[in-house]
Amino acid sequence: MLKNYFKIAIAVLKRRKFFTFISLFGISVTLCILMVGTAFIDKIVSADYPDMKRERSLYINSIELRNMKEGWMNKSLLSFHTLNDFMGSLKTPEKLAISSQSTATNTYVNNKKIVVDYKYTNYAYWEVMEYKFLEGKPYTAKQIEEAQHVAVISEDLKKAYFGDTGSVLGRDLEADNVRYKVIGVVANVSKTLLYSYANLYLPYTVSKVSWKSSDLMGGYTGVLLAKSVQDLPKMQAEYQQMVRKIPIGTKEFDHLYVAADPYLAGLTRNGFGNEHDTGVAKVIAIIGALAFIFMLLPTISLVNINITRIMERSSEIGVRKAFGASSSTLVYQFIIENIILTCIGGIIGLLLSVLAIYIINAADVISNLNLSLNLKVLGYSFVVCIFFGLLSGVYPAWRMSRLNVVSALKAQ
Amino acid sequence: MYKHLFKLIWNKKKQNFLFLSEILISFLVIFIVFSFVVFYYQNYKQPMGFKYDKVWRISYNNSQKTKSSDTLTLFYEGLKRSLQAMPQVKEVSYSGGNVPFADSHSTTNIKTKDKEFDRVNNYNVDISHKQVFQMQLLEGKWLGKADRTDKGAIPVVINKRLKEKMYGAKSPVGKNLWYGEDDKKNTREVIGVVADMKYDGDYYGGADGMYSKIDTSFYRWVGTISLRVSDDADAAFESKLYKMVANTMKDSNIEITHYAQMRESKNAITIIPLIILMIIAGFLIFNVALGLFGVLWYSISKRRGEIGLRMAIGASGKSISSQLILESMFLATLALIVGCFFAVQFPLLKVYDVQASVYLYAIVLSVLFIYLIVFLCSLYPGKQAAAIMPAVALHEE
Repeated sequence: MLKNYFKIAIAVLKRRKFFTFISLFGISVTLCILMVGTAFIDKIVSADYPDMKRERSLYINSIELRNMKEGWMNKSLLSFHTLNDFMGSLKTPEKLAISSQSTATNTYVNNKKIVVDYKYTNYAYWEVMEYKFLEGKPYTAKQIEEAQHVAVISEDLKKAYFGDTGSVLGRDLEADNVRYKVIGVVANVSKTLLYSYANLYLPYTVSKVSWKSSDLMGGYTGVLLAKSVQDLPKMQAEYQQMVRKIPIGTKEFDHLYVAADPYLAGLTRNGFGNEHDTGVAKVIAIIGALAFIFMLLPTISLVNINITRIMERSSEIGVRKAFGASSSTLVYQFIIENIILTCIGGIIGLLLSVLAIYIINAADVISNLNLSLNLKVLGYSFVVCIFFGLLSGVYPAWRMSRLNVVSALKAQ
Repeated sequence: MYKHLFKLIWNKKKQNFLFLSEILISFLVIFIVFSFVVFYYQNYKQPMGFKYDKVWRISYNNSQKTKSSDTLTLFYEGLKRSLQAMPQVKEVSYSGGNVPFADSHSTTNIKTKDKEFDRVNNYNVDISHKQVFQMQLLEGKWLGKADRTDKGAIPVVINKRLKEKMYGAKSPVGKNLWYGEDDKKNTREVIGVVADMKYDGDYYGGADGMYSKIDTSFYRWVGTISLRVSDDADAAFESKLYKMVANTMKDSNIEITHYAQMRESKNAITIIPLIILMIIAGFLIFNVALGLFGVLWYSISKRRGEIGLRMAIGASGKSISSQLILESMFLATLALIVGCFFAVQFPLLKVYDVQASVYLYAIVLSVLFIYLIVFLCSLYPGKQAAAIMPAVALHEE
C-alpha cells in the first residue's frame, strides 16, 4: 500500500512542477537553517576538545557578594585562594582544575605584533582537560612549585612566533615582557570554550598578580571533576555545605553565593538566571519560541500551497469517495504524501546544510570553530522533518476529507 | 467599486484566512528587522563626536604595591613625562577603564536642586583627554589645572545629551550638581559642555556623561593610558613603547591596542547578528512571496469562467488585471491593519527605551515593503488573467 502511495505522491509532485519547487525550496532552506543553528548550539553545549569530561564536571565561574539590606552587590571571578583552599578541601571530587580567565597581552617578533591570550593553571588542569600535545608535555607539579618560567603554547602561537619550523621545545618565547621556555605545543582550542581557550598556558606561580591574596575575588575559574556521573549529586551536596561555611571577611557584605553548575547551567545563570534559578529553562524556552516562530511562516506557506493542490485534485478525490473510499483512508494517504515531500525536502536541506557548514568553517569567521553534523544533530533534524510534514499536512487533509462528493465531481 | 471588492473578499473570508495570516506574520517579521535597521542607521548617521584614528590604548594592572597617593602621583607623572618625550607620542592621558569601545561602563546618579538623574556615565579623565581624542567643546571651557572653581566647587564638564536633559536650552555653566549620596563637601559646578561621543561603536548612540578630572587619590584605580601618536608610529615603535612601559611597571600585565581596531571589533559584534537576521528574514519573505504567487495563480485558473464572461461583456484586459491586483492589495490591507495594531504598541510603550521615531519609520517601511511584495506577486497572475480569451474560457466547462 505504501509503495502505491509513494508512486502516487511522485506522480502528483511531477504534475505541478512549480508548486513542487516552491514547497521543496521552502522546506529545504528552512531545514538547512535549523540544522546549522542546531550544529552551533551543539558545538557550544556538548563536550568538545579539550573539555571532554563534561558529563561529570561542575563549573565554577563567578562569586557574588551581596548586601541584602542596602541592595548593592559585587560579582567577579574567584581568587586562587578561594578555589584552592575551599573548593580544594572537598572529598568527593576526583580532581579540581583551577585556571585564570584568558587575558590578552602583546609580544613583538621581528617588528610584527602578536596578540597572545594567556592563562595561568594548576597541575590538575591538565588532568581534567584532555589536550592533544603535538610536542612535549605539560609542566609538572614540581615545576609549578618552583615557579619555573615554563610555558605550553598553541599551534597557532607557535606558527606566528617561530614560523613554520620543526620542534620548538626548549626554545625561548617572550610574552608580556617575560621570557619563558617552551616545554609543550598543543592543538588549537576554539574561542568558544570559556574555560579552556588560550594560546599560552603558564603555571600560576609565575603570575604577576599575587596568587597568595586572601581576597575571595580574583581572576580564576574552577572545574570540579567527579569520579563518575552518579557521584555528581553527592559532590554538589558536599559543595553546598562547604559554601555555607565560607567566611565573608568584610562587614560591607552579608551574603555570599558561588554556584557549581553543569556546563550549560553555568553559561545561562550569568545572563538569564540568578542565585536560585539556573536560567536553563528560560533559555530553552526562548530558543524554542524563536525556532517555533521561525518555522511558522514556511509552515503556513506550505499549508496554503497544500490546500491549493488539494482543490486541484478535487475531482480525483470525488471519484474515489464515490467509489467508497473512507475519509480516513484519504487523510492517511495525503499525510503520507506530505511526509514523503518533506523528507525529500529534508534530504535536499541536509545537502544544503553540509555545504553551508563547509562554507562557514572555511570562512573562518570565528577562528578554529569547526562545526560538524554529528548523529545527534541528524537525529534532531529527522524528527523536525517528520514534525514539519505532519504539521503542514493535517489541516489541508482535514479540509479535503470534508469535500462534498457531488460538488467535487461537478465543479471544475 | 471598493464596496464590491470588500463583499467579494468577505464572502471568501475562510479561504483567505491563510493568506491573511501569512501577510500578518510576514509583516511582524519585517517590522522587527526594519526596527533594527532603522535604529542602527539613525545612530550611524550621528557624528562620532571624537577622533579615534591614530590613538592607542595601554592597559595595565597591579602596577604599584604602594597605596600612598604621593608616591603614586610622582610615579605616574614621571611615566607621563617619559611617554611625552618619545618623538612619536603627541598627547598622553590617564583615565578610568570606561574609554571608547572598551565595553566598560561606570554609571552613577546625580542630583540638581530639584531633580535627580540616574545612569549618568561617570568619566574620570586627565585634562589632556580632550586633545588625545580631539573632543569638541560646545560651551564654556574644558577641565583645567585648577582643582576647584572660583566658588570652591569641583569642576565637571557634561555632554550635550545630559545638558539638554537637565537644563533644556539654558546654559548650564555655573550651575551646581551633586554626586550620588554626597552633599555640601562634594558640590560640583558645571564649567562646560562637550559634544556627545559614541562610546559603544557606530551603531549605538551616545549616552548621558559627565567628565571629572582625576585627582591624586584616583591614581590607585587608573589602569588605562590613551595616547595620540604621530603618523609614522609603526610596529617597531610600538614594540619599543611596550618595552619601555613594561620595564617601568615590572609587575604589571601590559596590553597595547589601537582604538581603530577596537571600534571595528565592536561594530562587527553589532552588525554580524543583524546580517544573519536579515538573511533569514529575506529567505522567509522569499518563501512567502513564492507561496502567494502560486496561490494567486491557482485562484485565477479557477475563476476563468468569471473572467471570460466579464471580458465577453466588454471589460478590457487592463481592468481585469487591475481588479485582481486591487483584490490582493485589499486583502493585504486587512492583514496590515491587524499587524499595525500590534506594531504600534512598540512606540506607545517605548519598548527597550528606544525612540518612538524608530518604530514609526519601521512601521511605514514595513507596510510599503509588504505592499510592494503583494503587488509584484499579483502582477504576473494579473497579466495571465488579462490574456484569457473569452471564447476559449466560456467554451470550457
